[in-house]
Amino acid sequence: MGVSRRDFLKQVAAATAASYVGMSLATTPASTAHAAGQAQKWVRGTCRLCGTGCRVELGVKNGKAVALRGVPKSRTSMGYLCMKGMLFHKLIGNQPDRLTRPLYRAKKSEPFQEISWDRALDIAAKEFADAIKANGNDAVAYYGSGQALTEETYLFQKIMRGGLQTNNVEGNPRLCMASAVGGYVTSMGADEPIGGYANVEKASCFFIIGSNMSECHPVFFRRVMRRKLDNPDFVKVINADPRVSATSRIADSHMQFRPGTDLAMLNAMAQVILEEGLQDDEFINNYCTFRIGKESKQVDLSSYRKFLEAYTPEKAAAICGGNITAKSIRQAARWFAKSNGTLSCWTMGINQRRRGVWANNLIHNLHMITGQLCKEGADSLSLTGQPNACGGVREGGGLCHILPGHRLVAKEPLRNQMEDIWGFPRGRLPSKPGLHTMAMFKAVNEKKIKAIWVHCTNPAQTLPNVTPYREGMRSDDLFMVVTDIFPTRTTECANLILPGAFHFEKTGVYGCTERRSQLTPKAIDAPGEAMPEVWIAREWALRLAKLLNDPMIRQCVADFEGKEPDYALPKAIWDEYSQKATRGQDNDLRGATYELLKTMHDGVQWPAPTKEHAATGGTVMKFVKGFDPLADEHSENDLPYQFYGPAHPDKKLWVWLRPFQGAAEEPDADYPIYFSTGRIIDHWHTGTMTGRIPELIRGNPYSFVEINPKDAKAYGIRNRDMVEIESRRGKIVMPARIRSGPMEGMIFAYMHDMAEDRMVNKVCVDAFDPGSKQPEFKICACRIRRVSGPKRLSPVIVQL
Amino acid sequence: MPIGGFIITCAPEDLTAALEGIAAFPAVEVHGTDEKGSIVVVMDTETSEAMDDIVKTISRLPAILSVGLAYLNTEDEIGDEA
Ligand code: SF4
Repeated sequence: MGVSRRDFLKQVAAATAASYVGMSLATTPASTAHAAGQAQKWVRGTCRLCGTGCRVELGVKNGKAVALRGVPKSRTSMGYLCMKGMLFHKLIGNQPDRLTRPLYRAKKSEPFQEISWDRALDIAAKEFADAIKANGNDAVAYYGSGQALTEETYLFQKIMRGGLQTNNVEGNPRLCMASAVGGYVTSMGADEPIGGYANVEKASCFFIIGSNMSECHPVFFRRVMRRKLDNPDFVKVINADPRVSATSRIADSHMQFRPGTDLAMLNAMAQVILEEGLQDDEFINNYCTFRIGKESKQVDLSSYRKFLEAYTPEKAAAICGGNITAKSIRQAARWFAKSNGTLSCWTMGINQRRRGVWANNLIHNLHMITGQLCKEGADSLSLTGQPNACGGVREGGGLCHILPGHRLVAKEPLRNQMEDIWGFPRGRLPSKPGLHTMAMFKAVNEKKIKAIWVHCTNPAQTLPNVTPYREGMRSDDLFMVVTDIFPTRTTECANLILPGAFHFEKTGVYGCTERRSQLTPKAIDAPGEAMPEVWIAREWALRLAKLLNDPMIRQCVADFEGKEPDYALPKAIWDEYSQKATRGQDNDLRGATYELLKTMHDGVQWPAPTKEHAATGGTVMKFVKGFDPLADEHSENDLPYQFYGPAHPDKKLWVWLRPFQGAAEEPDADYPIYFSTGRIIDHWHTGTMTGRIPELIRGNPYSFVEINPKDAKAYGIRNRDMVEIESRRGKIVMPARIRSGPMEGMIFAYMHDMAEDRMVNKVCVDAFDPGSKQPEFKICACRIRRVSGPKRLSPVIVQL
Repeated sequence: MPIGGFIITCAPEDLTAALEGIAAFPAVEVHGTDEKGSIVVVMDTETSEAMDDIVKTISRLPAILSVGLAYLNTEDEIGDEA
């Protein structure tokens, strides 16, 4: 293309900087600009990568993906894309190491052999059938993904629960969003946020905690930054995080607390609000009750006040350390409470905690006692990491305890509803929730699970304390099927690798952070023999029905038989899900048909029970009469807000009394430093996709560890020295980057690297939240030492 | 040989003065400006230290309010030293 690598990097640097201030540059990345002129048609869909849900148009020429551009009329992204979003189209179609044929080996020590689809599906069915016959229904499991299409998650879980009669249905959102689910359900009575991105342009205070949105949700951050830059005095930004990140640059106040002390800080903000009379009494009286303990015992406001006495700003500042002072807590509480609209945003820093649900509750508390909800600019908005964690897994029944449409497995009437919808006899669906992710892989290690299907995710790299779980996955006692597009650390553990179609090579829906479902239609053919996973699941179920001689398994796919897999099949699945499974539920999507979604620049925010409502974009603000059709339908009084969420019988918001609790593993004499991990803007998760995009991997070919200058000095570590990081579970070695990002006594490593000696999850702890079962990836204790001076390193990409 | 992408901010009325100040540094390329006083630049320097020096010097120019790093690539530098 006539552009040197340095020129390219300069364009990347300029475009990234420009995206932060919403500036359009005359120069776009050379390869993109070059190809953009050549497209014969543009197909509108959603970015494959993060949960922001930016809309894109894929340029296609001669059946090949040649370019990508933003969709200016999209309400999620307004035309903007980040660099990795701009470049992901390079993975569509044939890549050198793309998986294009089914691969099989009986033993994991053997090399893979290419086999036919018929044989592959026969093997997958026989292994699952044999495991069930010998060891019972719960000897099999499905482990899915917040990157799978909703149609895929819905169909797989239907076959597992209704066909194979096990609730061992999980997905990687357990590792990223489970605490947010727990927080919304326990605080608001219903999962997922009340508002959405539209609040950014109305907010006058941003409370960003445990989120480096500048690198993890760059296009969303651009909106927040624009709002701040356009109103530098009026809009306040509070960034609370043990690490100063790129996000902190727009903050008026950076609150740097010791890892794991967030609960104390959040309670202290509530204490200030009540102490200074900044609460919204009318909102509290109309809409809130106060709760404590496992039994959700109701208490009153005075009990809450008394509870908060342990968290005066002075006491909390002593717990929090860092730069937190009583004054900074008071200031944050005042900005939060007094603003015309406060928007809180968080991600993994809050969710990936031993008390992630409580941390979520305490953020919601602040919004409830100040009435910073249900009005323009105000919301308590959990940002989603993956593009379809909300849409597919949380809404489509992709976790062990939930059925489609936010129904709980444990509730018989709700199981009965799904049995009726699916045409099963009552009692067909197992009543016991299945194993959550950490329990599932523990059961693999204990050889209780004999066959597992891993779809579109990479647990052999992403599980915390990954080494023992990897051993379990590698064992020949486990039969493992993996559906994916590239070799990964997980395909290394597989018996059977089934090549799936990639984004834009198949049709389906993603639901992003703000309850918005967006369709991506097929634009080009998948390479080789790669197939849409809905086809794979259907064909597998038909074989299982024969082997297990169970007509109910066939019933799972009866309405989908014979349909072509590119459009008619996913459409039929979406129709069943949206028209029947979400009907009357809080995520009612009946108006969001494929026909309608195809016409939208973006998509539809549920609830959207009718096509008319869906055509407007759906519900911008849940629970508000006049905006949310279900609020009108469920209205029980004259109040403007109706909190009809299914989990709270009193139809109120619950303000929780949650005490401070620190991390599961705090530093001590042997492991004196906090270890935390996270993302860099150019890479995505385990790097299996972004690592194969030359521009992105060249820019950041390997992970590094950020070390505070004071710690670096104490340990004799200089910039780019190789540093060993060791915890009770394992050790890794990577180059140091000395910067005052992480606070003193804490290091921060980037998580995308799949090199054996740089996989951060070998170090992380597998302690998890007792409520959400989400692991505490963000905090554990480690020690560090300088191993050598700078070393030349190569990027590692797993090959077959 | 690091490459950095920066957003330099100035008051809108100081844009010309800011651009003149920045023009004195050959390692700094201006890629775009807007009416709100944002200037997108790319720096291409021999070492991270040299880049830090330029950032500090530019930050002190009277017309400049802030210099913010948005993107940094230091891969070559690591290779060079090894
Ligand atoms: S912000 Fe997320 S969804 Fe948007 S372009 Fe970037 S990776 Fe894609």
